Amino acid sequence: MAKNKFETTSNGVPIRHKPLGMRIWNNRGFYLMFLPVFIFVLIINYWPMLGIRYSFYDYTVKKMEWVGLKHFQDMFSGKNSSDFWRSFFNTLELSIMKLLITTAASVIVSVFINEMGNLLAKKTLQTVIYLPHFLSWAVTAAIFTLFLSASSTGFVNETLKSWGVLERSIDFLHLPTWWRPIFYLINIWKETGWGTVIFLATLSGINPELYEAADIDGATRMQKIWYVTVPALANTVIIVLILNLAKVLNMFESVFVLYNTRVYDVSDVISTYIYRKTFMAAVPNYGFTTAVGLFKSIVGAFLVLVCNWASKKIRGRGII
Amino acid sequence: MKKKVLALLLASAMVASLAACGGTSTDNGGSTDSGNSGSTTTTSTDGGNTTTAEPYVLDELYVIVDGTLTATVDSGQDAFIEQWEQLVGEKIGHPIKLTIEQPEHSGYQATVSQILSTRQQSDADYPDAMIMSASMFREYQTTGILWDMANAYDNADFHANVRFQNNEFNKDSQGRMYGIAPTRGNGCVTYVKQTWLDAVGMKLDDIKTFDDYYKMLKAFAENDPDGNGKGGTYGAIAAGYANIGEAPYINYLPEFWQGAYPAILQRDGVWVDGFQEQATIDALTRLHQAYVDGVIDPDTEEAGTKQAREKFWNADQSVASGTFAYWAGTWYNNITNNMIKQGIMAEGDQQKDLVMLPPIKEIQDTWGGLIDREAPVWVITDDGDGDDSREQAIFDALIETMLDGDKVETLWVYGAEDVHWSVKAEDFETVTGDDKKVTEYHYEDGQFHLKQSPNDPNSIWSKNHLDPILVIVPLTNGYDDPNPVVQAGNDFFNKYAIAAPVSPASETLTEIQSELTDAKKVAINAAVTGEKTPEEAVAEYVAAWGDTVQGILDELNAQ
Repeated sequence: MAKNKFETTSNGVPIRHKPLGMRIWNNRGFYLMFLPVFIFVLIINYWPMLGIRYSFYDYTVKKMEWVGLKHFQDMFSGKNSSDFWRSFFNTLELSIMKLLITTAASVIVSVFINEMGNLLAKKTLQTVIYLPHFLSWAVTAAIFTLFLSASSTGFVNETLKSWGVLERSIDFLHLPTWWRPIFYLINIWKETGWGTVIFLATLSGINPELYEAADIDGATRMQKIWYVTVPALANTVIIVLILNLAKVLNMFESVFVLYNTRVYDVSDVISTYIYRKTFMAAVPNYGFTTAVGLFKSIVGAFLVLVCNWASKKIRGRGII
Repeated sequence: MKKKVLALLLASAMVASLAACGGTSTDNGGSTDSGNSGSTTTTSTDGGNTTTAEPYVLDELYVIVDGTLTATVDSGQDAFIEQWEQLVGEKIGHPIKLTIEQPEHSGYQATVSQILSTRQQSDADYPDAMIMSASMFREYQTTGILWDMANAYDNADFHANVRFQNNEFNKDSQGRMYGIAPTRGNGCVTYVKQTWLDAVGMKLDDIKTFDDYYKMLKAFAENDPDGNGKGGTYGAIAAGYANIGEAPYINYLPEFWQGAYPAILQRDGVWVDGFQEQATIDALTRLHQAYVDGVIDPDTEEAGTKQAREKFWNADQSVASGTFAYWAGTWYNNITNNMIKQGIMAEGDQQKDLVMLPPIKEIQDTWGGLIDREAPVWVITDDGDGDDSREQAIFDALIETMLDGDKVETLWVYGAEDVHWSVKAEDFETVTGDDKKVTEYHYEDGQFHLKQSPNDPNSIWSKNHLDPILVIVPLTNGYDDPNPVVQAGNDFFNKYAIAAPVSPASETLTEIQSELTDAKKVAINAAVTGEKTPEEAVAEYVAAWGDTVQGILDELNAQ
């Protein structure tokens, strides 16, 4: 059904808007207050976007010339395509796996903490598992590199050798078969505690009467977890997953500090690929790396829209 | 729905308009200069009319340096700049303001690349001159942003006093010279802990061949040289199985690499890819065996020079290595000083407890000695206006004075007077080691001496940017650091030094250098750790890069 030309009140009286200029003038105080924010957003958020034009240029220290879609062709099917696609799929795989694993770990730990009766032990455990989140990735990488080193300074290898479990040291961070499991483990160690914050908040909001009812029905502890706690967490878990899904392409620091040339095949992500092509080359072509960055942004924007749609479906409101 | 479509259209229109309106072109070879005017009168021909340019007066000099300028902001750089401005101002006849930008050393190349790409010639902070490593220099040589200083070098006042002719290698096949090395290159020496040799019952004089060398490494790894009754020690550690990012690549493990050279080099006048040669496969086989035998510290794969050094002189020798190939001269002194600080060497025993291994037979038979690397160079940016007066003025103010053999050169060699060195009478002391050992220093008036480091009063300043032993024009004022350890290190290296292969300069190579370096690093690490055989690793490299490298070789051989 076509809408009326004029909006009407509930009893059918047409609403006649004043002209835009007059409305702005009438609300000039608000517009004046908004102006600094508007200028700030333009300068800080939109002005740098001018840089996207470089993706259509060959931009090096010696020249800047228009090349059209050359960099995109190169990226998708040219000489750089294998490295590009490798980094793209690595990004998706590492991010999504990391998201699922750390979320699952956070849920399990949250339930475990929720079940703890001793308040002191509960608070102590919470504090201890929060702490790694506050370490920078550089420090985390330094700790684990030393910890997992294949040299005689490596605690894990030396311990396993002294127990007779290993005959030779395993170079955990340099072997493609080991790198990803270690990467996920480090992420679990670092982020699980922080991830429990939101789940613990949800758990604290569960109606105690549900547990009392379960007790009356003769439910065991595991049954209460399974039939009361987990369903109560499900909605939050889905929301956390959706909100984080929009950020899956933003993976740099955690990989950058832990990867090396021998594990590029399983670890190189889009951001590290862009970094190497931009900063490790003596005379980089900023045009190409800007094109890769632009593609990443477009995919990222698409994911945000998908998550927004999913969020609307599940919880009735979007994320943007 | 309409709103969404409208929003999408508006967003697209905004991005498109931003892209369009931001399209001001960047002319990196622009004709504007940094606003200075000249000290050199030149003439230029314009459409048949000869015009005489105004004298160019250089009143500001903006330089970018790496960590080799040890007079950093924390270590008396203000005094260095102040004294440079005063001395050069007197020499040139007008004041020049010197600005030094010193990016972090390990990220220097990336920072310079960003600076040159994002700043304009007309910007006040566009560099007039920069330091570049030899390999970095070769990559920039073909970009057109560096000034050809061949004439300036040939006509320089210091030219007659040059004692090392290494700058001749910096000229290309057409005689153009885009950078000048104020020093000779220096090279690496394999240092061996004498106490470990004694512990395993070996003598340095017996190490003549690779087999002897390897036996020594095995003994260090297996025969408990630190005497703690446990394993954990290694024969050698280095910053990478090959120092693949910087020529001459093989200097950190020369005994393993021997005659191999994992890069493009000239053999008998023809450019070839050394990485594809059998010698490289043989070197990787030796390194792999060392990895399997546990004689080489696995941390070598990812270690930087700092980590490798610190593991070598670690106070806990139970995880250290017995040999370490590193820079000669000043670094011989630095390493022994750190060993003293860590309490693993007694003061006065430096040359006795850390000995230098002469090149083994396989190195002598292939290279003929220890490789003296291509030295880092100073380059001057070309403003592209076809008039050399600005560039010549920079050369006169910076390079001519840097090599004057007198006061300004002393600044670059030792640092600022009365901050880094002095000729005034003074007494001071330094405290080192766990036992707080005090060393007293006493100097008479007129006696040249280095002072305490500005940022560490417990160590003595060693040098500034130029090594006095390596600088191409010797100091004529007699100022000399009489450090016997440095001298012994330099004498040892000089006895065996041979010039490094000249690095190639090719436009295509410049474009793919970082990827090529990565590919080689992957191949080397895979071969050494046994992930692939050396033959497979090199074959994979050839399959991926063989054609491209052949194109570069053809390009080079056609020059």
